[in-house]
Amino acid sequence: MKQTRSKNIGITIYIVLLLTPIYWLLNMSFKTNQEILSGLTLWPENFTFANYAVIFTDPSWYNGYLNSMLYVSINVVITLLVALPAAYAFSRYKFVGDKHLFFWLLSNRMAPPAVFLLPFFQLYSSIGLFDTHIAVALAHCLFNVPLAVWILEGFMSGVPREYDEMAYIDGYSFPKFFVKIFLPMIRSGIGVTAFFAFMFSWVELLLARTLTSVDAQPIAAIMTRTVGASGIDWGVLAAAGVLTIIPGILVIWFVRNHVATGFALGRV
Amino acid sequence: MFKNNKYPRTMLLGAAIGAAALGLSLQASANENLDAAEKWVNNSFKRSTLTKEQQMQEMKWFIEAAKEFRGMDINVVSETIATHEYESTVLAKAFSEITGINLTHTLIQEGDVIEKLQTQMQSGRNIYDGWVNDSDLIGTHFRYGKVMPVEDIMNGEGKNLTLPTLDLEDFIGLEFTTGPDGKLYQLPDQQFANLYWFRADWFERDDLKKQFQDIYGYELGVPVNWSAYEDIAEFFSVHVKEIDGEKVYGHMDYGKKDPSLGWRFTDAWFSMAGAGDKGLPNGLPVDEWGIRVEECHPVGSSVSRGGATNGPAAVFATTKYVDWLREFAPPEAQGMTFSEAGPVPAQGGVAQQIFWYTAFTASMIEDGLPVVNEDGTPKWRMAPSPRGPYWEEGMKLGYQDVGSWTFMKSTPEKRRLAAWLYAQFTVSKTVSLEKTIAGLTPIRESDIESEAMTEMAPKLGGLVEFYRSPARVQWSPTGTNVPDYPKLAQLWWQYIAQAASGEATPQKALDGLAQAQDRVMERLERASVMPNCGPKLNEERDPQYWLDQPGSPKAKLANEKPQGKTVAYDELLKTWEEDR
Repeated sequence: MKQTRSKNIGITIYIVLLLTPIYWLLNMSFKTNQEILSGLTLWPENFTFANYAVIFTDPSWYNGYLNSMLYVSINVVITLLVALPAAYAFSRYKFVGDKHLFFWLLSNRMAPPAVFLLPFFQLYSSIGLFDTHIAVALAHCLFNVPLAVWILEGFMSGVPREYDEMAYIDGYSFPKFFVKIFLPMIRSGIGVTAFFAFMFSWVELLLARTLTSVDAQPIAAIMTRTVGASGIDWGVLAAAGVLTIIPGILVIWFVRNHVATGFALGRV
Repeated sequence: MFKNNKYPRTMLLGAAIGAAALGLSLQASANENLDAAEKWVNNSFKRSTLTKEQQMQEMKWFIEAAKEFRGMDINVVSETIATHEYESTVLAKAFSEITGINLTHTLIQEGDVIEKLQTQMQSGRNIYDGWVNDSDLIGTHFRYGKVMPVEDIMNGEGKNLTLPTLDLEDFIGLEFTTGPDGKLYQLPDQQFANLYWFRADWFERDDLKKQFQDIYGYELGVPVNWSAYEDIAEFFSVHVKEIDGEKVYGHMDYGKKDPSLGWRFTDAWFSMAGAGDKGLPNGLPVDEWGIRVEECHPVGSSVSRGGATNGPAAVFATTKYVDWLREFAPPEAQGMTFSEAGPVPAQGGVAQQIFWYTAFTASMIEDGLPVVNEDGTPKWRMAPSPRGPYWEEGMKLGYQDVGSWTFMKSTPEKRRLAAWLYAQFTVSKTVSLEKTIAGLTPIRESDIESEAMTEMAPKLGGLVEFYRSPARVQWSPTGTNVPDYPKLAQLWWQYIAQAASGEATPQKALDGLAQAQDRVMERLERASVMPNCGPKLNEERDPQYWLDQPGSPKAKLANEKPQGKTVAYDELLKTWEEDR
């Protein structure tokens, strides 16, 4: 009994510590700049929505969110469409160099995005894709597809080969089997993969910023405008920060039961 | 067959109707533009140095000039300050409605503007059609040859697209945007200075005045030299300590290892100590960065190569920065960045600040602040910065930021010209006064002298007086000696931080900086990427040789703390008034 109580206290302290920065962000977003700068207040004394109003009334602000969501969604869709067949191949077939290829895939993730900045910029501007959503989505695929293949391969290998064979015996064509039987069995894996793809693409700033200028500018790039020669607009920056957390929270809510399996790349 | 016969007739009819409609719609859109212009002039550009008729004349010219660009989507970019926010939300919209060019004025952090600019320069691919870029890069643009000089646009492709009433003579910052070849490279869009800031109300108090006189033997007032600044800083931090029960400090600064620490120095700190040579807007042959040029070629920044980045004056300036920060500033200042330190004086505990940007004016006159009187007038004033012991008459005395329209050769001509129209619109006399009032960053003599500014002057703490004074020419941006601003500027904060944190002595830190600068210039020389006036480094020789030569680098003074000197603020204003 005593042990559970002390455990509870420990967990509570831990959670409070973890949530403090988020609370602080939320707190700041409802304060005026003057209050933020003038001293320590634990909650807003002059509660204001003005910071949020700035974002919701200015198209150049809220378009940033729409742009980000759009290219992130495109990225997630492309990642899944490409990674599902690839992962199936790796989990079911043996071919020359399969192990090496599988490992090499992940090495793509080992290079920092900055390495690809200028090559991507050159490439995309020469084919007219600069400042489009699809450009950012494709660039993020370089990092997301390998990870997605790894996660999905883990989940797929967890499904015994006998299912495939039984489906053939029952007269299912391959596409029908894949969509009707196989995919539902690795549902949670797909959800987790989508989550990881989403998270990377949502917070990646370097590529997203370099490959866009106006029409597809991500929210993270627009947020930098709160920093100027006459100081930082802390309130608006905090409000924008709070709003960037929300999509992440929603996605996590949907996949919360599968995230742990995802971290283990499906091998549980 | 039947059908075939009918087609041409219907087509002809359709074409006729279409043509008529097109003619009508062109006519209609011209009228629409004129109506829009009238609306904007009447509602948003009321205060102007032009009469309404003259304003409409300018607007008509814009409508006419923009005809061939109508319907284009043009993108320009700038950093975020109040002036650009006004341009982005008001002027861009007005321009789009009046001319029919869809203009987007994007705002991003200044660092990102520079990054994108470099990307466009290096790749030759167009990112934005027009840029507002600080004139600190004039030396960079002039040397790399990637920028389309504004003068070439005005005399060439944009000859017929240059506003007849642009009135270049009226601009106060053209010197800063002119290259060593005498050509105008950029067009100023906004400027603000870096001045001395102090609590005029405290400086007027008789008890404090008497106490200061008793301790230091001269009057408390606006410090003319660094000795006086140091005395006043010590006076408030060590002797006064508290005013009306609140803790006060005689100095404010910042010292965190952060890129913004670089600006604290590259924005002309050494010039205030007197490190460079004489010459306006920048010292020649050695400028305030300590870079020496010979016939426009940078030849070095170490004293051993004839530069002054690690010379005695620069070491003195850095030492004072470190000492004052440690001894007289609030203890938390050491861990602050530029943006964190900026708002601190407005909270009422700081008596003076030697390095203060007038860009903070608007945020320091807001109602309810401890530094603002009940009638809305500020308790503080700005004044010319005090000078260090190495400073001599004829040298620059501080920094001025001049955000200027910049166009790249890699932008397609038609897009560049459409952006050029917008650039002229943002500085045209029709809108310029309203813009100046919104952002407090004047660029035109006519705006500064206007009645509207006279009316505002009492609320602006000396901004108008400064810009009307003859002293303003001593405040200038980074000059043409700096061959690659982005590459060199980023070295500064890393080395200065060593001195700020006490990790290295100022001399050692600056030796490192000077060497790093020379290495970058050496690389630029070897790579020969600069078609104009690229670096040609001097051979290293005994530093004493250069210190013995007249001018910068200057030998160490025996006495770096001469008698402190102050002047009453009112006296200062009077001398300005007389000199005008």
